[in-house]
Amino acid sequence: MRRLRDRGIEGSRDRWRGDPIGCAGIGPHMACRLAALIVVAMIGLPPAAQGEPPDMPYVYTKWEQFTTKDGLPNDHIFAVKVDGDRVWIGTEDGLACLNKKTGKIKSWREKDGLPWRVVGAIDVAPKTGDVWLGLFGGGLARFSGGRFDHWHQLNSGLVNDVVYGVCIENDNVWAATTAGASRYNTVTGEWSIFTEKNAPMEEIWNYGCSYADGLVYLSVWGSGVLEYNVKRGTWKDYLDPDGEMEIDLYRDDGIVHVITTGVTYIDKTLWVSTYFGACRYDGRHWRGFYQHDSGLPSDFGNAARGRSAIECWYCTDKGVGVVADFPSDTWVTYTTDHKAGKGKAVVQRGKKIIAEITTMPNLPHNYALWADFDGNDVWVGTSKGLGHAIGEGYYPGVRSANKTSHGLQPVRPCAGGGSVRTRGSVATTDQPLKGATE
Amino acid sequence: MQRYVCGMTAALLIAAAIGVVWASGPGVRQRHPVYVGARVCARCHAGQNSEHVVSRWRTFSQWRASKHALAYASLWSPESKEIARLSGIPVEPQDAPACLGCHATAYDAEAWEKEDTFFLEDGIQCESCHGPGSEYIDPEVMMDRERSIMNGMKMPDAQFCMKCHNVKGSHIAVLKSEPLDIEKELKTICRRAEDHADAAGHTSARHNPASTIADPPDDPIQAQHDYIGVMACAACHTTPARGYQFSRWRMHRHAHAYAILGTPAGVEMAAREGVDGNPQRSPRCLRCHATGTGLPADRFSSGFNPTDGVQCEGCHGPGGAYANTDVMRDEQTAHDAGLRPVAEQTCRACHDNAHGRKFDYEAAIKMISHATPVEDDANYATVPRYKTPVNMAKSPNGKELYVACEASGSVIIVDIVARKVVAEIETGGQPNDVAFSPDGYRAYVTNRLDDNVAVIDTATRTVLRTVPVGDDPHGVLVDASGKFIYVLNTMAESVSVLNAETFVETRRLAASRSPWSLALSPDGKLLAVTNNLSRFVEFRTPSVSEVTLIDTERGEVAHRVAVPGANLLQGIAWHPSGEFALITLNRTKNLVPMTRLLQGWTITNGLGIIWRDGTVDQVLLDEPHMCFPDAADVAISPDGKIALVTSSGSDRVAVVDVAKLIGMIRNASTYERELVLPNHLGKPTEFVVRHISTRNSPRGVLIAPDGRTAFVANALDDSITVIDLAALDAVERIDLGGPKTITKARFGERLFHSADITFHRQFSCHSCHPDGHVDGLTYDIEPDGLGVSPVDNRTLRGILDTAPFKWEGTNPSLQRQCGPRLAVFFTRIDPFTPDELSALDYYICTIPRPPNRYRPLGGELTPAQRRGKLMFERNVTNDGRVIPKDNRCVTCHFAPLFTDRTRRDVDTRMWLDREVEFDVPHLNNIYDSAPYLHNGIAKTLEEIWTRYNPNDLHGVTNDMTKDQLNDLIEYLKTL
Repeated sequence: MRRLRDRGIEGSRDRWRGDPIGCAGIGPHMACRLAALIVVAMIGLPPAAQGEPPDMPYVYTKWEQFTTKDGLPNDHIFAVKVDGDRVWIGTEDGLACLNKKTGKIKSWREKDGLPWRVVGAIDVAPKTGDVWLGLFGGGLARFSGGRFDHWHQLNSGLVNDVVYGVCIENDNVWAATTAGASRYNTVTGEWSIFTEKNAPMEEIWNYGCSYADGLVYLSVWGSGVLEYNVKRGTWKDYLDPDGEMEIDLYRDDGIVHVITTGVTYIDKTLWVSTYFGACRYDGRHWRGFYQHDSGLPSDFGNAARGRSAIECWYCTDKGVGVVADFPSDTWVTYTTDHKAGKGKAVVQRGKKIIAEITTMPNLPHNYALWADFDGNDVWVGTSKGLGHAIGEGYYPGVRSANKTSHGLQPVRPCAGGGSVRTRGSVATTDQPLKGATE
Repeated sequence: MQRYVCGMTAALLIAAAIGVVWASGPGVRQRHPVYVGARVCARCHAGQNSEHVVSRWRTFSQWRASKHALAYASLWSPESKEIARLSGIPVEPQDAPACLGCHATAYDAEAWEKEDTFFLEDGIQCESCHGPGSEYIDPEVMMDRERSIMNGMKMPDAQFCMKCHNVKGSHIAVLKSEPLDIEKELKTICRRAEDHADAAGHTSARHNPASTIADPPDDPIQAQHDYIGVMACAACHTTPARGYQFSRWRMHRHAHAYAILGTPAGVEMAAREGVDGNPQRSPRCLRCHATGTGLPADRFSSGFNPTDGVQCEGCHGPGGAYANTDVMRDEQTAHDAGLRPVAEQTCRACHDNAHGRKFDYEAAIKMISHATPVEDDANYATVPRYKTPVNMAKSPNGKELYVACEASGSVIIVDIVARKVVAEIETGGQPNDVAFSPDGYRAYVTNRLDDNVAVIDTATRTVLRTVPVGDDPHGVLVDASGKFIYVLNTMAESVSVLNAETFVETRRLAASRSPWSLALSPDGKLLAVTNNLSRFVEFRTPSVSEVTLIDTERGEVAHRVAVPGANLLQGIAWHPSGEFALITLNRTKNLVPMTRLLQGWTITNGLGIIWRDGTVDQVLLDEPHMCFPDAADVAISPDGKIALVTSSGSDRVAVVDVAKLIGMIRNASTYERELVLPNHLGKPTEFVVRHISTRNSPRGVLIAPDGRTAFVANALDDSITVIDLAALDAVERIDLGGPKTITKARFGERLFHSADITFHRQFSCHSCHPDGHVDGLTYDIEPDGLGVSPVDNRTLRGILDTAPFKWEGTNPSLQRQCGPRLAVFFTRIDPFTPDELSALDYYICTIPRPPNRYRPLGGELTPAQRRGKLMFERNVTNDGRVIPKDNRCVTCHFAPLFTDRTRRDVDTRMWLDREVEFDVPHLNNIYDSAPYLHNGIAKTLEEIWTRYNPNDLHGVTNDMTKDQLNDLIEYLKTL
């Protein structure tokens, strides 16, 4: 509830709303002129100042935005899930599917059979291709072959209709709800419920869930992160060891706060978001992140979307903070200044800002709720549309600035139309980032 | 012997006391009572204590000689098998929960709920009526009636007895038994109990518990002991393969030889022969009335029980050395280890001039004959086993036809050229469909009773293995690449995708309801699946059924084509152009009274055209005055010009001119295609060019690749009709070798599947009860107003003993249900003749009910099921309020049928209902007959209580937490 209730609404209407001809809407020449807005700031004197440019992460400078004008049923995007050529989008008033090949968006509202208007979470079953929807207030739905099937607390064993998170574990579907977690076995039809009765849930308000490597993780408001070992059927909890709600008494001693909002487990690494900071756990060491000492734009995290053991996208109420390279503590923070009509990507290492890149708008809105990875690309759901970060030349981690062949290189010339894509509006740089040496 | 008994008794009771299982619950640890078995009760109630002989003798000894004690053993008999058959039970009665529920104790208890002293084979034991004894079996407790009851001992009343002794049609039909006078019987039993109580009170001061406690039993087969007891033998000798030897012994007087000594007749006989006191302690009596008499206690294993009378070892010698299975399997080895051949002298040692009677050895040996396998009983000769061919597939080389035969559990191979049966392969329970691998080396057969697929090596014609799939598999097909096998799990509403090399199920796709058959598009990219039942729709709205299209490249459901107003989508075939597929369907007008039959449109039958783009057209195959009931399957000729459709209800095949059909549709307006053609009885004459007669109940149809010949499986004639497609005529009948006699059941089966009884031959019983089950619809039957008294269609599986019938419970018998009532409200022509009605009812009773998919007999419950069982049996709410007896689940839904066969008001009356009280439905396999409640308004089990029990009058459920309700439902699925 909180995630939706607290949804940010600041910012004016997005002027960079998508357009079928990409740069059109701002015009090709406009796009070229905007490229001049790129400002590379050198702050401090990193090693580059002494001759060697600092290693740089990949920075997404090409973005496109999708809103209702592009065919989305609603601009409040709660969930995004990439499934091959399709991008499933959960909104406050309907489900949408973007066909990446055709660029067309198809949507379903209640009148089209969608069982409930608010689609808060999406996952796709790898075995069957069925799309599972967490319906905020409406239970759980399966979208398969154009048919919606609906499970709710009256017609099934689902513990509660307020579903925040959905994830697929083998033949099971997990639903994180406001009254505990439910597990539905799609083969046997059995429902299981996990609450304080049979799991270490001090609170039962489940926000998110994810599955990987035989482990299901639940982020629970007030109960930290819970890990369920599928094979053993056992639980393990990750709580804030200092037990302090207001302060993080001992740094890196565990999860930063028990009010967790999102969790991803990938490459044996746990990424967690809370309303009071974020953290990472590699199985031995915890590491906390806060706005004041990292690239997190805000401590108020809505989702943690791990991409690998070294990269995670934190969706917050004030933008997206990306741990681009954990070993070097390198961050990229994406925000959009809608009033100025500019996007900004700030690269920093720890507290130190290495570079600040001004681009066309990146996030449709700084209130980011979800992100999903699509090869080199990333899709970000915000409270004012869907953002698509185009990762041409993406590389993980950091590279020597001299070798960063992309992300900071000029896009192809705007001959006749700038950086034209066929759908959405595109924002990009067209100047190479010189980094600290400039 | 006495020393042995006392020692064993003491130890047994100690074991019972300490062997109590502790069940942990939230907060408080509670003792969960377990079953100890009658043998433990016998320690005090068998009369070993001479101080209080008669009454205690009677309690155990009279039980041992009673029908209660023989209840399990009696299930081996031919009569029991016939009763089981009449109850739709396709397994041995001794393996059937429905039988064991009243013929054994604790049949549904888990292993941990039974002490090692407990034996199912002891039939209806003390604990059947008095509850599991572990908590009250202690003599100190038992001496105090009030304390015993507090510790769980139940004192049953007549109502309790009637749970099993209520009139059962199946038993009356076979045993010709009179209804039980339960009051009279109870008086007899109570008198014994009173005697017992008096004696107990009288002797309590002298009672020495230690003398009645025995050692806990250990492994009954212990080589160091000579005598191991009959129950050790029973471990192997109860099965049909072993000739039911245990049960046959139990039914014989040898088994009661000890008990008889405790009866008044036994005492009197003993006294006449000069035996003073308790004959059960007289070595002279025991020499021939028990086994191992006079031997020291250490010669007996703890599993040996002298109350079992003259046991196997009484004749065959002590079994400690030869009872091992490996030894027993080799006759010579067993003999060397002491297995004694029984000679005439063995018998004469006891029987010669016993009690002054002459002994006829030859007659006696026949009486105790227990050869294996069991001899056929002349009264119940082997039931003819029909073939019932339902579906076919042609081998890729075009030489052979594989025919799945449901009744014979086999696939019959027909040489296409010779048109002769060349082989038959047993595959499993109720084979339904067959498919070949593209290379022809393998054939796959779905066994819907066994929930598996048999893999056949076509070269050797042997079943290589079976592969488990989902519930009740029907259709099966191999994709074009040969890499994947698609199996339709009809009851699980899913499609299993098996790797054709490893036979591992790689994925399970969601179908709609009751996926039935499937066909691969000519380009191999789309697999179309028909679904027999409509999707769930809103209350009192028309059906919407589905054809599920599967993308074979992605292995995912690509599209779900909705077919409005239709149900029973069964047969399917793709047109060679790949533009469309044809399906068979019914259009059932279930929302208006069935008496509209006179207007000719209660149930119409036809074809669906599923276009590749997902659109649908529907046409009828019915014509005025001559319908086309139960369109079952369709095949299209290789040139795409004609389609053959079988009508199992009218024994015909319709020949459809495909070009005319498609032309008619394409020339129609959108309005006509949506609203006119689907209901137009006059249109079929435009595209049906001929009807070809077949034999009884044609189901599967197949056209040879050369387009010259078609084959039709006549399910109830055990034959294949060969159709010459040039002449459009049936030219040959291939006999599949079924019995030539038509039994009453087979006659009834033909009636069930024939529409001859219906006005204009619109439908058959099978139309609404495919596979003897349900069509998932709620019907408005009687002409009492539009929509008034809607009733959910109920399964016919295992219904005989659930009388009365109808949701309103007004039909006391199947004869009434299927006789005049059927004619008045359903068929609208003259009713069945008495002979027909009798045969029809007989067949209906024998429709097999599948085994429970959620719990095999005796299987462990899952934790959720176990918790759910406690909810089902609870008598207090979560906050400690006592639930009134009439409002507990078990009061109305008790084992084994889980119905009390009454009408009850459970607050489910709705605005369209005439009645307030409705029949209490049985709950066997309740998971497979959605929707629920009398009007089918509850789509799921959950909805029964979350939506339609607001006042806690259908059981007290509103205090349950969500997880408790989930647990309850998990348990309900096991019943």
